[in-house]
Amino acid sequence: MGVGHEIIKEQQFFRKELRERVFWFIRLRWLAVAAAGAGLGAAYLDGLALPFLPLVLIIAAVGAYNLVFRDYGQRLELSPPSTAGPYILFAHFQISLDLLALYLLIWLTGGPASPLTIFVIFHVILAGILLSPASCFVYAGLVLAALGVTALLPPAGAAEGEAVDPLYRHLAFGAGVIITAYLTTSVKAALQSKGRELMGVSRELELSNTKLTSLYEMIEEVGSRTTFQKLLDSATRNAARIMGVKACSIKLYDQENNCLRFASTYGLSEDYLATDCISVEMSAVNRRIIEGSLFSIGRIEEESYFQYPENIRQEKIASMLCLPLKAEGRTLGVFCVYSGESDYFKESETGFFSLMTDLTAMAMDRLKQEMDRTWFLNKAAHQLRGPLNAIMSMLHLISGGYLEPARQLQTVDRCQKRLKILGEVINDLLKLTAQRREPEGRAKPEPLDPAEVLNSLTHLFRAKAGEKELSLEVEIGEGLPLVEGSRRLWDELFSNLIYNALKYTPPGGRVRVSLGRKEEGGLIFQVADSGIGIPEEDRSRLFTEFFRAKNAKAWEEEGTGLGLVMVKEILDRLGGRIEVDSQVGQGTTMTAFIPFRSIPAGEPEREGTA
Amino acid sequence: MTGSLDVLIIDDDRDMVESMEIILESKNYQVRSANSGAEGFRMIQERQPDLLILDVMMATETEGFDLAYKLNRHPEFRRIPILMVTGFPQRMAEDGPESFQHIMGEDWPVTKFLEKPIDPEVLLASIEEIAGSKVG
Repeated sequence: MGVGHEIIKEQQFFRKELRERVFWFIRLRWLAVAAAGAGLGAAYLDGLALPFLPLVLIIAAVGAYNLVFRDYGQRLELSPPSTAGPYILFAHFQISLDLLALYLLIWLTGGPASPLTIFVIFHVILAGILLSPASCFVYAGLVLAALGVTALLPPAGAAEGEAVDPLYRHLAFGAGVIITAYLTTSVKAALQSKGRELMGVSRELELSNTKLTSLYEMIEEVGSRTTFQKLLDSATRNAARIMGVKACSIKLYDQENNCLRFASTYGLSEDYLATDCISVEMSAVNRRIIEGSLFSIGRIEEESYFQYPENIRQEKIASMLCLPLKAEGRTLGVFCVYSGESDYFKESETGFFSLMTDLTAMAMDRLKQEMDRTWFLNKAAHQLRGPLNAIMSMLHLISGGYLEPARQLQTVDRCQKRLKILGEVINDLLKLTAQRREPEGRAKPEPLDPAEVLNSLTHLFRAKAGEKELSLEVEIGEGLPLVEGSRRLWDELFSNLIYNALKYTPPGGRVRVSLGRKEEGGLIFQVADSGIGIPEEDRSRLFTEFFRAKNAKAWEEEGTGLGLVMVKEILDRLGGRIEVDSQVGQGTTMTAFIPFRSIPAGEPEREGTA
Repeated sequence: MTGSLDVLIIDDDRDMVESMEIILESKNYQVRSANSGAEGFRMIQERQPDLLILDVMMATETEGFDLAYKLNRHPEFRRIPILMVTGFPQRMAEDGPESFQHIMGEDWPVTKFLEKPIDPEVLLASIEEIAGSKVG
């Protein structure tokens, strides 16, 4: 909205005010006429000696011109003038005529001593309300001058009660008139400035309302996107439009490589985007944003923040504002808006953009969760479908007579093996979903003895180790404290890690299991094997569903890729973490740290009783 | 046809590969196999097969498509007919090839689709159809 438009709006506002007052003035005059008529009637009944005929005529004249005024006013309403001029003129005309009528009345009712004299004050007030302060003071002057003239003129009516001290009274009355003019104009000026202030506030409200509506529409659009790229593109395009800036970008945070990558941009050239993943380590600015602080520069040319200032200059960016995209405490990326004007981003823009960023992050998080769920379902279906397809294809071979009897048996064997894997996948899926469904804080977790849980599982592992001729050492520390959590969780945690070690260690190797107390508090559970190891490049994806390292697949066909996911989720729930240390061909050591949690009152730690 | 049909099977499921091998060998086709797209491409470079049987989803969701595309853009290998096998029959049956359009783009480098599990009769009929139309 332009400045010109604002001024016109303000003028319209005050003209409306003037117009309303002019009509109010006309209505008021009917009252005055009625009151004057009534007063005159009372005076007549009271038997006062007054020139009644001229007085009645004057009052009638006032009524008559008020009719004309009303008519004129209505005509003005029908075709409103484009300026306030006609209204001001109209007001002058009314006040002048009224004053004239009033002075005639005063003159006819005893000059300055007339009880009507006091009414001149009202005209000063009306002038103060309707017209400019200068006009108000001019009328005040006129009123005083006219009063002087009436004092000099011979009294027209029966002049009873001659003024004893006319000068003294005139001075006091004159001061009253001037003070009235002053008060009225001051109050009016104060009201007008308040009016202007209110208009400013309403303008701001209107502006923020427009912005919020746009934001709402933007989030609605962004939230309806079904792919991540479309969501981001919609966010950058809308943000640039709503913030009124030339460019906008979203960089996504790559946690693995600790860097930021342009994922969606609007209004930036290809050259600018050609930069690789921007290392957070190297860029202090980005590090600060990732950590959660706002970053705003009003004058880019004066700052030396950037690694590639010439790039920014080429884009004609003068100021920028960046905020982290955060959801559930995780940083998803960085949202930036760029303006061609210096110091474009004021406090209100920053607050608004912060709201926009938070809402965008929420939409991103929601879509990601949705995609994760779909991905998991898809993957799970494929994981089930794979063995099933193989089994059915092999059965087709048998039923189609493609195999000799000896080969048939072999194939049935293969089918059985695949069925066993299929069963395992289903089991793990069930366990995982049960684990995920289990409410976070159960009513009263049973205190558990971790040593006892591990001990009760050991014979199962020994049998498995025996089959593969592996040496299995289990070492359980003395005096371990009781822990909380369901037995099933601890059971899963221990057995998944130990079975993994047994599975990926070649015959003749060794697996060492230890459970002990951590010095700074908490438990340490460690499983070390002399197995095939985990290649460096596969380690980061080790805890994602269905992932299996390449060498693991080659080594052992069986495997659901869900075991370590369960381990990770159990540790998340217990507030613990896991460290992986491995060398391909040498072995793997997995170390889980589990902090102690308060055991419900009345259940002393074993340590205390020992 | 002079000599037997040279077929290359690329699938990461060893049981699937073996089953198809048995079926094709019953017709005296010459069969080679690979467990990944990369290994398969190497074998194609060694000797160009008459027909490629390719699984869609291997290590990645689109590994099969990726290879199909790579071959399609290759001046030498673009004419190799591809019989694509997929474990997601319902998607194929309901939406047809269009359901893969977002991955594939406009070109359609695949000659024919076949659903898993593999029915030997259907597999052989499909191969004969492709080979027949190609040989004349």
